[in-house]
Amino acid sequence: MIYNELPFDVIVCGAGHAGVEAALAASRMGASTLLLSGNIDTIAQMSCNPAIGGQAKGQMVRELDALGGEMAITTDVTGIQFRLLNESKGPAVQAPRAQCDKKAYQFRLKHTLELQPNLQIFQATVTGLLYKAGKVVGCQTNLDIDFLGQTVVVTTGTFLRGLMHIGQNKNEGGRLGDFSAKSLSSSLTEAGIQLERLKTGTPPRLLGRSIDFSKMEEQKGDLQPTFFAFHDTRGPEEMFHVEQSGERRIGWAPGSEQVSCWMTHTTAQTAEIVRANLSKSAMYSGEIVGVGPRYCPSIEDKFVRFADKPRHLLFLEPEGRSTNEYYVNGLSTSLPFDVQLDLVHSIPGLERAQLLRPAYAVEYDFAHPTQLFPSLESKNVENLFFAGQINGTSGYEEAAVQGLVAGVNAVNKVRVTAPMLIQRNEGYIGVLIDDLVTKGTREPYRMFTSRAEYRLLFNHGSAEFRFLDHAKTYNLLSNNRIKNIEAKQAKVTHWVDYLEKNRSTGGTWADAIRRDRVGAVLPDELIRESAPVRDEVVYRVSYQGYLAREQRQVEKLSQIEKIRIPADFDYPAVRGLRRESSLKLAEFKPMTLGQASRISGVNPADISILMVLIGAEAGRGRDAS
Amino acid sequence: MPRSSDTIAALATPAGTSALALVRVSGPDTAGFAQDIFGAPPPPRHALHADYRAKDGRLVDDVVATFFPAGNSFTGEDSLEISCHGNPFIAQTILEDLFARGGRPAGPGEFTQRAFLNGRMDLSQAEAVMDLIHARSERALAAANQQLRGGLGRRLNDLTERLLGALARIEAYIDFPDEDLPKEDRAIVRRTLESLAAETERLLATSHYGELLRDGIKTVIIGAPNAGKSSLLNRLVGHERAIVSAEPGTTRDFIEERIIVGPHCLRLIDTAGLNPAPGSIEKLGMDKSLERAAEADLILLVLDATTALPTLPEFLAKLLSTDRTLVALNKSDLLKSESFDLEIYSNLRSVSISALTGAGIDPLITEITRMVDFFQPTGQDDVIAINARHADALTRAKVSLQAALANLAASGPVELLASDLRGTLAAYGDILGKVDNERMLDQLFATFCIGK
Repeated sequence: MIYNELPFDVIVCGAGHAGVEAALAASRMGASTLLLSGNIDTIAQMSCNPAIGGQAKGQMVRELDALGGEMAITTDVTGIQFRLLNESKGPAVQAPRAQCDKKAYQFRLKHTLELQPNLQIFQATVTGLLYKAGKVVGCQTNLDIDFLGQTVVVTTGTFLRGLMHIGQNKNEGGRLGDFSAKSLSSSLTEAGIQLERLKTGTPPRLLGRSIDFSKMEEQKGDLQPTFFAFHDTRGPEEMFHVEQSGERRIGWAPGSEQVSCWMTHTTAQTAEIVRANLSKSAMYSGEIVGVGPRYCPSIEDKFVRFADKPRHLLFLEPEGRSTNEYYVNGLSTSLPFDVQLDLVHSIPGLERAQLLRPAYAVEYDFAHPTQLFPSLESKNVENLFFAGQINGTSGYEEAAVQGLVAGVNAVNKVRVTAPMLIQRNEGYIGVLIDDLVTKGTREPYRMFTSRAEYRLLFNHGSAEFRFLDHAKTYNLLSNNRIKNIEAKQAKVTHWVDYLEKNRSTGGTWADAIRRDRVGAVLPDELIRESAPVRDEVVYRVSYQGYLAREQRQVEKLSQIEKIRIPADFDYPAVRGLRRESSLKLAEFKPMTLGQASRISGVNPADISILMVLIGAEAGRGRDAS
Repeated sequence: MPRSSDTIAALATPAGTSALALVRVSGPDTAGFAQDIFGAPPPPRHALHADYRAKDGRLVDDVVATFFPAGNSFTGEDSLEISCHGNPFIAQTILEDLFARGGRPAGPGEFTQRAFLNGRMDLSQAEAVMDLIHARSERALAAANQQLRGGLGRRLNDLTERLLGALARIEAYIDFPDEDLPKEDRAIVRRTLESLAAETERLLATSHYGELLRDGIKTVIIGAPNAGKSSLLNRLVGHERAIVSAEPGTTRDFIEERIIVGPHCLRLIDTAGLNPAPGSIEKLGMDKSLERAAEADLILLVLDATTALPTLPEFLAKLLSTDRTLVALNKSDLLKSESFDLEIYSNLRSVSISALTGAGIDPLITEITRMVDFFQPTGQDDVIAINARHADALTRAKVSLQAALANLAASGPVELLASDLRGTLAAYGDILGKVDNERMLDQLFATFCIGK
């Protein structure tokens, strides 16, 4: 049957971290939205470690919060341990990280979705997409119910032809205990979308009371937690705004009653077990064809690639307040279950540990993200958007930010308004999307701060200022919050200007801050400002020279960023281009010269040629900006 | 793409009398022109010995013509090279005939530009070819060839790779603070940066040398009026270019000549005489002479051995450093005694010459060559001479490296250290092309065991 005669504005297939942000963004913009999930009990499930944030990811979550995303606030109210990473280093590379209560996190998000106006949730597995004249018009489900939609956002995670490996044992599914989306792959392939395999893995889960924590080192949370959401620009009513419905929500006072993680390490015996059983590992026996990430190696990989490193650090992370389950960070493996048992028991404190779930590797289909526009719309099929692991990324945070961008742009598409395009120089979200759509990826893509050219401009505290224009243009934040952000920004600008212009002892206040750094004296009135304002002011003043330099680079580069390449540009006809460049450019169809310059294999000479030609065409009356 | 719609032609060899002159033609009409001129289509890439007949049927010269079809020619278009006899009149007639047939004169560098636009060469090759065209001496030729083969490219690649290694060591501790990394060792980073700074400096030092190679070594001839400056210039050039007269002060405008001395190209600049009691017009000329001397790479101080040593302006005396000043003690033919006391100039190298008879000119040239050889940076196994664009990028690289080293010495914020290293990387990339961040990550993951 066809469920609806009047199509939804946006249908979101998948309710993981990308799907929930897409659905919330679209419905909050006022679009009629449908969220389909194969199992609504696992909405926003953390399939791997029970933590949000960390280096680069933490900054992205704050950027997401600046665009009205839900991940930050959910983390804050369901977090059970908070740590600011790189505290000893400068603000630009400091990042918040939190252990979350896995169940509380997903229950709260499910509840948020349930209370969201314009949003409908339905449990069904999407089996195929409906196309009409090169456009997507809806989707089919395993229940033989079809849904019509003007746009469709696909967020399949690891479920697209998901195949799990434990040694030689294989199970179909995107996550242990869950199903696999099989026919959707062929539906995508039929529309001309190229798919390929990736692999990722997860470690075993252990029963806490079988662990001897006395043999481990404790890692506590920060006494002063750093939160993800910008609480200072939210009114108290917004902090828990869903409570206005009168319903009781899951969550607690952010930062209260933190719990600890525990550190242990592998032993010589662990190494021996791994080496002796290497041929039984799915990764090493050739069972797995998908490419895994370099930054998240299995324990097999660690002992093989870094054979001279005697031991590897492991973290025991609690999965929540109301469970005794522990996640063993660092022990990802695809070895058979019996070997996993020996492996776990060779580790100090885990000698008698009980496994609740085994470690496994999972292979899944992803679609090369170079088949997308920077709006995350497919180049092959109009009105079809992709977000999350299907685009080759890894991580909840990477998925969530794409979800929001895809959701916003699906609505823009329905309303025939310009897409929200986040540039590389605006924040990590821009870097992520630009890397994906211009360069693609061969391993699960994770964000690092070192991927950003303008890292110093991307300190987490400035995210609200950097994304304010987008938030206003697309109406992503409440008017009240916009007003508060603008007031905060005015204060920061005022104080930076004041410190540069007014004299303290031995020069201006700014000179004193740059000279004395941490110990610098501040004007009393500035000390009375809120900590976020003060921190941002001091950051901008003390790093002034470097920030100005990065700003100049941004401006210089944004010039070629603005030169648009006509969509029908005929690369093969340009005789000056080298064949490799011509093929790549024709394949990736960059929208701007800036994007073209970042495609690997396209060299400065090629860009000069394009610049000459596009410039020449522009000179003949075409608009080049 | 809009292909070149017109056909260009130009003389490829320097203007003036020589054994052979080469006229080059490129563009879509080339094959048609050749058919008309020689009566038959020339075979591709084979030298054709034939009569050049102008449009009106008149025989111009017997020439050797080679036709290069589009694709494999220098410009990537149909092109034709015509070797004719080196009489300027013949070459000019051929060019005018080609223009009469519908060709047009090539603009400066237009052949190279077409080659570049047709993908026959990359930016640095194009620059090297420009240098090759302008090469005025063997050394410049060697440097241009070297760069064409990627001598500079190889060095920069090596510097970039080492820089990426240092950057990976910094980035690992920024991006993976929770990982079990070995204790951070900034000493390794410091040593790498020091060697990079030194090598960048060495490459940068070739910048001035590169200029010397391309533009010639600016050699200013100075001395008192009538000391024989113009005669020396004429002697070195081998023909009378300057106005030589016995009346002092005849050279008011500067006379410039290029000469090849051994492997080097010298730009000889004759100046007005330095008169201790000048007239007002002479004063003007003298001031200009001093200005020239201040900019000189090499100063040839001409002294008259038959008169008392002149008193030179103090400003000039300061310019006369031993490494770039050579005294030509002129009129040795008129000198009675064997020795001459150079007094205050005795610390400078000097050669006795007679501009009139030519005596001592060979030893003078030997001495010039020896001094100029010193301008070449030492310790280089091959000749690299960077151009102004390279020098600009390398200067930025050097500044960033120095900032990074200062940061290391002061244990400054690590993200600023990384920012300076990225600045260096971007500067190297301005010569070689953008360096993909993946290369840094490759080094990072190869060096450190990262991953939960």
